[in-house]
Amino acid sequence: MTVSDRNDDNVADDEQSTAGTPSTPTDGDPEETAPGDGETTDEPPSVAAAAGIDDDVLDSPRELASTVRLQWILRSTVGAAVFGAIVAGITLVAGGATDVVPAGRSTAVTAGVGVFLLAAVYGVLKAVLLYRSWEYVVREDSLYLRRGVFTRVRTVVPYVRVQHIDTTRSPLERLLGLSTLVVYTAGSRGADVTIPGLTPERASTLQTRLERLAIESEEADAV
Amino acid sequence: MTDGGDQAEAERLIDRAFRLHPLSIPYRVLEQGLGLAFVLLVVGAPAFGVVQGTLGSTPTAALGVVIVLGVVGYGVAYYRRFEYELTADTFDIRSGVFARRDREIPLRRIQNVDISQNVVQRALGIAEVRLETAGGSTSEAHLKFVSVARANRLQREISRLSRASDEQSAEPETFETLFEISDRELGLLAVVSTDLRIIPALFLGASVFAPSAAAMFDAEMLLYGYQSVVGAIVGPLVTLAGIVLIGLLYGALNATLYYGFTLRGAADELRYERGLLQKYSGTIPLSKIQSLTVEENVLARWLGYASLEIETAGQSGSGAGSQGSTQSAIPIATRGRVLELTNSIEAVGDVTFERPPKRARQRYVVRYAAVVLVLTGLLWGVDAVVGLPFAPWLALGALVLVPPAAHLKWRNRGYAVGENHVLTRNGFWVRQTKIVPYYRVQTVASSATVFQRRRRLGTVTIDTAGARSLVGNDAEAVDVDEGTAARLREAVTASLYTALRRRREEDRRDRRRPNDEHAPGG
Repeated sequence: MTVSDRNDDNVADDEQSTAGTPSTPTDGDPEETAPGDGETTDEPPSVAAAAGIDDDVLDSPRELASTVRLQWILRSTVGAAVFGAIVAGITLVAGGATDVVPAGRSTAVTAGVGVFLLAAVYGVLKAVLLYRSWEYVVREDSLYLRRGVFTRVRTVVPYVRVQHIDTTRSPLERLLGLSTLVVYTAGSRGADVTIPGLTPERASTLQTRLERLAIESEEADAV
Repeated sequence: MTDGGDQAEAERLIDRAFRLHPLSIPYRVLEQGLGLAFVLLVVGAPAFGVVQGTLGSTPTAALGVVIVLGVVGYGVAYYRRFEYELTADTFDIRSGVFARRDREIPLRRIQNVDISQNVVQRALGIAEVRLETAGGSTSEAHLKFVSVARANRLQREISRLSRASDEQSAEPETFETLFEISDRELGLLAVVSTDLRIIPALFLGASVFAPSAAAMFDAEMLLYGYQSVVGAIVGPLVTLAGIVLIGLLYGALNATLYYGFTLRGAADELRYERGLLQKYSGTIPLSKIQSLTVEENVLARWLGYASLEIETAGQSGSGAGSQGSTQSAIPIATRGRVLELTNSIEAVGDVTFERPPKRARQRYVVRYAAVVLVLTGLLWGVDAVVGLPFAPWLALGALVLVPPAAHLKWRNRGYAVGENHVLTRNGFWVRQTKIVPYYRVQTVASSATVFQRRRRLGTVTIDTAGARSLVGNDAEAVDVDEGTAARLREAVTASLYTALRRRREEDRRDRRRPNDEHAPGG
């Protein structure tokens, strides 16, 4: 009853089971052996088989590196601080000019700190929940992503449609030892296919793997 | 060497470098000159005075002459240094006065070839040609200007050559007229193309602002009570008449754009012409079509009419405005005819739309009721500050409209899974039916907001490389059942691979056939 052996004929049942258990990753830090044994099964030729990707790599849901929570929390905390400062400033000005709010520095500080705390707690909660919701699966013919706190989005990117793949690292990510993978398609939402919070090694493994899959699918199914 | 005009018809077009039409020099100079003159009139007059004050009038006049010479010189230089050449498989442009640019566009990559002419250009017999590819944010090639005959020949040759490089013989194509707009349809277009969605918005605006405006003149209204009653009746009537007038004006403008619309089709290309004052013509290669959209607004639907739009992956405007490369294949025609033509472009066949589950309606009821409540709250706030001539809670009467509105929204939604296509349908005011061939699907996503999850609903978004999707106009199956959403998502992806595989096999068969034919001959 895991998402791992997903077949196209009974996806609906699968979906219901995943709805019950939000995240069932195989393990936190899976060992990714270099694929290339080239052993294929008798099943109809899938892109993955043609690209020589190991079966144990396929269809196993991966979660992000746990440090990504820290990245998101840091980012949202900075945002919360700015927001709090703005609110404090407005309160100070409004207090001086009108009598809607009591004047004085202490009111402004209280308002600012209050807003900051609320926003920061929200940021932390959201980061934790988002981390929990994130999952990506390298499937036979497509890359599958699942994420979202309020709006849950599941995206399927067929390998034939992959144009190119980037890995990027922002300064904060470098500090935390993280990396982001961006998969581009010709579709307008191409840049939306982003996997954050990967360890650099994981990102580059995934990048080469997806590149090989894209090339293989191109050869097999190019128009 | 130059674009001479009529005798050009007999000339060889391929593998020869051409220049633009000589008349493009005076046209461009005047075009730029007018822009410059405008700047000079606004900023220039005082500056001119200052310059004259410091230099004296003779040098100033000399300066003016220098500027004019500069503009003319640049125009001539632009003409002399602009060359285009059509080769067997590329379109090359060498251009630039100071910075040179050599550009080669593979013919196979060209999405559409558009020709446009405004009134002045028509009088001069010159036309503007644009070539669009799926890449850049602007047209890849922009010829300003060539003779009309040359423009048409270019358009013809480019599509012939790009077809030839596809394989197949390069025999001239036979075009048959698929659609020609009649006067009746043009008239209908003028009436129907009024965007009905603006009416409720304007009414809302009027109902919010008119009373508060009236409140400002409260004292006056007390004094001239009689007049205010007349005003209360005449005012809305005038507003309504204004709305209708604006609508008709907009419609009439639209009608001039689509005047004389003709769509002709060959085996692998569509070609259209339109326009009364400004003339457009363009090509749509069938192999570049990303998706089709059948659009009907309330009025058109009620009268049994519809329009058809075709999206290709080209990026820039084709003259019709900021709609990307959405080409209107049929501006307006009876629904049956539109569907017939749609079927001839993409063999969709018979499909039955699946509506969202009925519980989706509850969502819309809640949503619309919330909107009414929020508006009532706002009116209450306004009432508290300025005072309204009516009790704010009267706005709650709009709640009566909520159930029918929700029902209509639900009724017009749906999706259908065909053999080779996936279709989605949305919208009451403007109902859009999107037809996406499986082999054009880029990515598929399903999403569920908090509110959708409460009712076990979800939305499936099917992304294509069409230009229109830049503004979020993807094919969307909204508020389908959770399970259906997941199934649809996976089914569309699987169908993409099946469709690609089938196309590849067909391709291979096609490629083998000419060889077989060649074998006995050689």
